Amino acid sequence: MLRNKTRFWKRILTYLFLLAAVVISVFPFIWMLTGATNASVDITRGVISFGKNLKENWENLQETADVLRVFFNTAITTFVYTILAILICSMAGYGFEKYRSKGKNVIYAMFLISMMIPFSAQMIPLFKMAAKVNMLDSHIAIILPTLALPFLVFFFRQSFQAFPTELIEAARVDGANEFVIFFKLVFIPMKSTFAAAAIYAFMKQWNNYLWPLIVIQSNEKKTFTLLLSSLASAYYVDYGQLMLAIVLATLPIIIVFLCMQKQFVEGIVGTSK
Amino acid sequence: MKKRIVSMVLTAAMVMGCVAGCGSGSGTDENGGAEDNTITVWAWDDNFNVAVMKEAAKVYAEKNPDSDLNVDVVSLSKEDVYVKLQTALAGGDSGLPDIVLLEDYVSGKYLNTFPGSFADLTDEFDYSKFLQFKVDAVTQDGKVYAVPFDTGATVLYYRIDLLEQAGYTEDDMQDLTWDDFIEIGKDVTEETGIQMIVEIANDKTSLVRSMMQSCGQWYFDKDGNINIKDNEALKAAFEVIKGMKDAGILYEAESTEGRAGALNNGTVASVVNAPWFMSSLKQAEDQSGLWRAARIPRFADIPESINASNVGGSSWYVLENSDVKDEAIDFLKQVWEGDTDFYDTIMLNQGAMGSYLDAYETDVYDAEDEFFGGQKINALFAEVLTEVIPVNYGGYVSEANDAITTALSNLFAGNTDIDGALEEADAQLANQLGR
Amino acid sequence: MKRTKTKPSYNKYGWIFISAAFLLYLIFTIYPAAASLIMAFQTAEGGEMVFAGLDNFKRMFNDGIFIQSLKNTFLYMVIQVPIMLILAMFIATLLNSSILKAKGFFRTSIFLPCVTSLVAYSILFKMMFSLDGIVNKALMSLGILDAPYQYLQDSTWARAVIIIAMLWRWTGYNVIFFLSALQNIPKETFEAAQVDGANAFQIFIRVTVPQLKPIILLTAIMSTNGTLQLFDETMNITQGGPANATITVSHYIYNQSFVYAPNFGYASAISYVVVFIMIILAIIQFSVAGKED
Repeated sequence: MLRNKTRFWKRILTYLFLLAAVVISVFPFIWMLTGATNASVDITRGVISFGKNLKENWENLQETADVLRVFFNTAITTFVYTILAILICSMAGYGFEKYRSKGKNVIYAMFLISMMIPFSAQMIPLFKMAAKVNMLDSHIAIILPTLALPFLVFFFRQSFQAFPTELIEAARVDGANEFVIFFKLVFIPMKSTFAAAAIYAFMKQWNNYLWPLIVIQSNEKKTFTLLLSSLASAYYVDYGQLMLAIVLATLPIIIVFLCMQKQFVEGIVGTSK
Repeated sequence: MKKRIVSMVLTAAMVMGCVAGCGSGSGTDENGGAEDNTITVWAWDDNFNVAVMKEAAKVYAEKNPDSDLNVDVVSLSKEDVYVKLQTALAGGDSGLPDIVLLEDYVSGKYLNTFPGSFADLTDEFDYSKFLQFKVDAVTQDGKVYAVPFDTGATVLYYRIDLLEQAGYTEDDMQDLTWDDFIEIGKDVTEETGIQMIVEIANDKTSLVRSMMQSCGQWYFDKDGNINIKDNEALKAAFEVIKGMKDAGILYEAESTEGRAGALNNGTVASVVNAPWFMSSLKQAEDQSGLWRAARIPRFADIPESINASNVGGSSWYVLENSDVKDEAIDFLKQVWEGDTDFYDTIMLNQGAMGSYLDAYETDVYDAEDEFFGGQKINALFAEVLTEVIPVNYGGYVSEANDAITTALSNLFAGNTDIDGALEEADAQLANQLGR
Repeated sequence: MKRTKTKPSYNKYGWIFISAAFLLYLIFTIYPAAASLIMAFQTAEGGEMVFAGLDNFKRMFNDGIFIQSLKNTFLYMVIQVPIMLILAMFIATLLNSSILKAKGFFRTSIFLPCVTSLVAYSILFKMMFSLDGIVNKALMSLGILDAPYQYLQDSTWARAVIIIAMLWRWTGYNVIFFLSALQNIPKETFEAAQVDGANAFQIFIRVTVPQLKPIILLTAIMSTNGTLQLFDETMNITQGGPANATITVSHYIYNQSFVYAPNFGYASAISYVVVFIMIILAIIQFSVAGKED
């Protein structure tokens, strides 16, 4: 009886605590969503209920910037980046883990250390480089420099530890090619690891700001972060328009996470070993 | 086996190369050669500078129907314009725009740090037709480097209904000193419970700057030396702001959003700011007719002090190594020098007040504004502008602002007195500038 | 796990696997990093970079704002990282509890903050903590405050706001890491402890924490790294104020590069001091984690 009672209270407390966490976490999203439907003046006045200004905000936003174009730019760079980054980093992680050698360990250590160099310190040499090879104002220039993402290499290496080396050796005995082993034998069972990496890379690129800012020169190539930044810095900021843009910029990440969250959570498991 | 590896690596390299090549294809016309007929402009604020420059492009296109010149106005945040410009100038000559908007406060820094990067426009424009203090602001070593654009004629915007509740009329708000203003503020706050004036807490310098320039003083003297600890006007400004704080009439907003919110909500009775600030005020349509504008107060104890000042403002610079330098100058000349209709349009649509003297003579400056109870507010701005005392902004205003903001925070927190705060700011700035 | 050395005949495949990443890394990380290391020993003179020896490093010792920014950064690290990790572990434990229903809903909601756009979140935090913001209104209606308080004008509170903002944004992210690690611990481990009569807290300390050690190390390094590079929050919420009470090293590097007269040499020098500190911290974290094994 007593045990049941404490159980009951434990359950209530758990729910209460988590609900509080949910409210705190979700509140800004509610505010964002309502903001997108309100006039600017109501937002600065602190109104948190749905208004009637959505259509006008959309029209204003359309007038300010080619939103669909911006959306397309962000989507294409993020998509290509995510695919290439997980391909390159998973291969590197696999190489570091399953083909250990002294030389590779040294390089791996260098990868880890370079995680710690602030990006602003590398920006000017990178910019000079992009200018020299005539790659300014191109989407490829946004993508290339951060493809070999140290964190992802680290993440994949940790995850591949869980993959039994015996299976690889067995496949070798059967005469399988090393690349075939990687893409056919390793990839499928490690799906959720790749999904987790994909979400990480997606978020990283979707919200990438400083580097696109530096290399993108024209309106046609702009991404969402740049649009938000310019919208937010006017003498007089139209918060309704800004909130709508923020909602449009945030929704895709939420959707990606919602679709892949199960794999994401499972995928991280590998690194905890 | 070896052969296969080699061919795989080669294929991979080719794929990468192609991806890179394809991607860069469209990038070339930015820095490209002869066929380039696009003037790229960097500016901030879609509702203001960017809109104005797009209007200018339209006007140019109408004047030159046969020209195939494009003007591409790239909208960035102000901070982003500086980050990009600084990176590109430091990185060499690539990736720069053809025309860039710079604040008068900071342009000196770029002219100093990257000599030869901006085109000398001294002989291209008739600068006698522009406001003198604006021309001074974009002049360095006798050379003029920009086409002066907007001005920040400072006025005191106030809520007449709240002042009337405290027993004051429009007439009482003319020709004030700051001491008068604080007394009025105390009455208003006492009668209505509403604080008199608003300033942004983490950037208290906008009031300080307009106060200083109303005396013809600045953070730097004419030769660019730091002028803080012995700056009489700055000291007086500190005293006034401390006085406002102590009297409980100063509302410190946490941010620009907070400032707009406080004004639109009616939590504050007045603000000292420039013409462009009208668009923020006018968002509160329910307050139409309740606002008035007056000249800013002056200091009673400083004889040079006048009831006019300027805050902010920016100008258009042409990059020296632009492929379309001549076209860019021609574009600026045709629109920004001589076309008063253009100036009328941007004043009406964007509230942008240019520096072109002839433009002040038009009907737009005689218009009555209902939001301000039928006051001829544009005429007030024009009147203020012609009196503004030129100062040498010196280019390092960001550094000075940070030092002053820190000093004021310490002063408000009771960590130091006014002289101590000024000395501290002086030392911080000297250290920052490596002097 | 067997950690045998790779047979030489397969070794070359290892190199092929890492070649793309390594190549990109050499070009886009090592080269710029080396170039900026050179800049750390240079200073700008009339538009040209000239050799300046150790001047940039010497300047740091006399630069009050730099020292302040270093202190602030450490303060954030020492306070925010442990709170966040403990909170994240706690929430993850609750989410992993067998009695909980609607796990997906809770998990998603708690993860959401880290996908918010920075612009939205900084505006929101400024508004929440402003004079007539929701925090003041709530505290006043509860009778805790008589008059609205200016949080961002008080150095202690301004720092607290930055820490709260970071906790809000990043706790849920770490929860996911802990949660996935927890799901990997066999249920029998917990049940065995329960049979031994351990209470929830004892189970947490004796069973959960040791099992989570690798992920604690991972999140600790990620968070330390994140804090040392902290920039967005202070830039957008407090602008480093009041009186530089919240400015971080990364924020100061940004100011030196782009806000003040460009001083890329000095900014690079500071960057490398940060890298040096981070490497030392990472070594300490690894050795602490290793010792307890």
